[in-house]
Amino acid sequence: MTSSSPASPTADASTSPYLRLRGVHKSYGDTPVLQSIDADIARGEFVTLLGPSGCGKSTLLRAIAGLTPMDAGDIEVAGETITHLPPQRRDIGMVFQHYALFPNMSVADNVAFGLKMRRVDAAERRERVEQALALVELDTHALKSPHQLSGGQRQRVALARALITRPRILLMDEPLSALDAKIRQHLREQLREIQRQLQLTTLFVTHDQEEAMMLSDRIFLMGEGHILQHGDAESLYTRPNSEAVVNFVGAYNRFDAEQASRLLGRDIEGQCFALRPEALYLVSEKSAPALPANPGPGCRGTIAARQLLGSIVRYRIECEGLSMNVDTLNRGVRSLMTRGSDVVVHADIDEARLL
Amino acid sequence: MPASANNQAPRALPLHWWVLVPIFTSLALPLAATLLYAISTRWGATLLPDGLTLEWLQRLWQTPRFLAAFGRSLIVVAGALLLSLVLILPVAFLAHTRFAWLERGMNTLVLMPFAVPPVVTSVGLLQLYAGGPLPLVGTPWILIFTYVSIALPFVYRTLINSLRGIEATELMEAAQLLGASPFVAFLRVVLPNLRLGIRIAVFLSLSFLIGEFVFANLLVGTRFETLQIYLFNVRRESGHFTSALVITLFTFILILTWLGNGKSEITDSKERSL
Repeated sequence: MTSSSPASPTADASTSPYLRLRGVHKSYGDTPVLQSIDADIARGEFVTLLGPSGCGKSTLLRAIAGLTPMDAGDIEVAGETITHLPPQRRDIGMVFQHYALFPNMSVADNVAFGLKMRRVDAAERRERVEQALALVELDTHALKSPHQLSGGQRQRVALARALITRPRILLMDEPLSALDAKIRQHLREQLREIQRQLQLTTLFVTHDQEEAMMLSDRIFLMGEGHILQHGDAESLYTRPNSEAVVNFVGAYNRFDAEQASRLLGRDIEGQCFALRPEALYLVSEKSAPALPANPGPGCRGTIAARQLLGSIVRYRIECEGLSMNVDTLNRGVRSLMTRGSDVVVHADIDEARLL
Repeated sequence: MPASANNQAPRALPLHWWVLVPIFTSLALPLAATLLYAISTRWGATLLPDGLTLEWLQRLWQTPRFLAAFGRSLIVVAGALLLSLVLILPVAFLAHTRFAWLERGMNTLVLMPFAVPPVVTSVGLLQLYAGGPLPLVGTPWILIFTYVSIALPFVYRTLINSLRGIEATELMEAAQLLGASPFVAFLRVVLPNLRLGIRIAVFLSLSFLIGEFVFANLLVGTRFETLQIYLFNVRRESGHFTSALVITLFTFILILTWLGNGKSEITDSKERSL
């Protein structure tokens, strides 16, 4: 998994990239956190760095911001090398997980801070603060103090504060992780809407796969200091290119060649055979779904457990000594199968990933 | 056990009063007696004083020697605190935001004033500064510098906790990304939010430094009579008079502590809600 592998996210940048990372490297003592990261990001693109905690995604973001010095590598924005610039001269905006609003200033003063530092005169400042607050729908809260706001409102102030200087790049470090589910959902949509409107090149860090898939033009999946795979949500979800990606994305069932042969009733070669739970079909007395084009002979098994995930029912199936998850659409109480029922499992071989 | 006892006899005094009342009484009794002695005409053979008077307090506040000593104490303590803030604030800030090794070093260093008894420190200071290139003994300067070192642990710890509380590192980062230089970020974002921490550090140290006697007595003695040395020197004059002095000092410290903690929080929340 070096920069020359197909996982390198530099390959598909057809136009000249806006943000360019070359060989970014960082270690803490003997522990490497970022290992020769290369990446190209186009202007106006929304890119998510996705990965488990400790994969280096936040460190990469902080390196781009200039908050964490890197050991080697180069960062370019719009053709200008910013590797050795201090954070205040990079013209990059950032939103933090815990807001980092200035408690001694009102909402309006927080938002105006970046303009004050750039010595924008008071009249223009007032006008732009008003616009920025209107953009995040907080114009009526200008005179409040940050501690009077809710978490979601605080994060919107932080967003307005970061946007007002019209930064070349917006960095967001798990900005929604401290918020509760409903507000997170709403803010996600608002965030994406604003990003589109302003054509803002955005790097968004999250460990939430769903969030990454909903928001991003492209996802960079990171693991152990590397970019493991990059691409849009669909390609990352349906065509993972390594075992490490399979382990993080979706709820893939993984089999070795021998297990896969047993399941499919024919010989399979390869290291790892991965199949998403929704690419498996259960046929029983209660349900006979439309099968894929090439269903194979099927494999007899029993239901070991059932989890209701809302619109999806996830069954744990024991079959030929194998254990696997199968997702089916929840079509109502009558179609639910109980523990111990006999089923036949068919696999959609076209959806399988051989790694 | 206490809970069930409560249930059976609901009118009995709750258990925690049985603990609180004796403790509070034992703490307040000497103070109350001193106060009473300070405002009584004569308190000799009887259980209660013969009469009450403000004469002692008036006489105290008209004694130039007392006022001078009080002024000296205030100057030394204020000087020491100003110097500690100027010295310790940047160190605490850098230790917290930049240099982890400095924070580890400081954590050990701030224990030193506790580890070495004041008498030992004084003897060392006397040896060093009695003569030689820096003959400071007997001048207020040595007291100021010594007080800086005693106040160090309190000022440093209070500031570090305060920096941690406001998440100074993140505030600095946010301010810098918005275009502020580190110095401007410190002045405009970190310092204003440290106000409360600084106030607590200052008033806390002030109230115990003003009562300091060992160092003052050994290092400057009568050559620069501070409040505590004055109290020691006049101890034989009149019990009523010294009681008045003690009560005055206590009231002063009480007001300072109250200013440092309680009042600052009230004004702070007022400012915020505006």
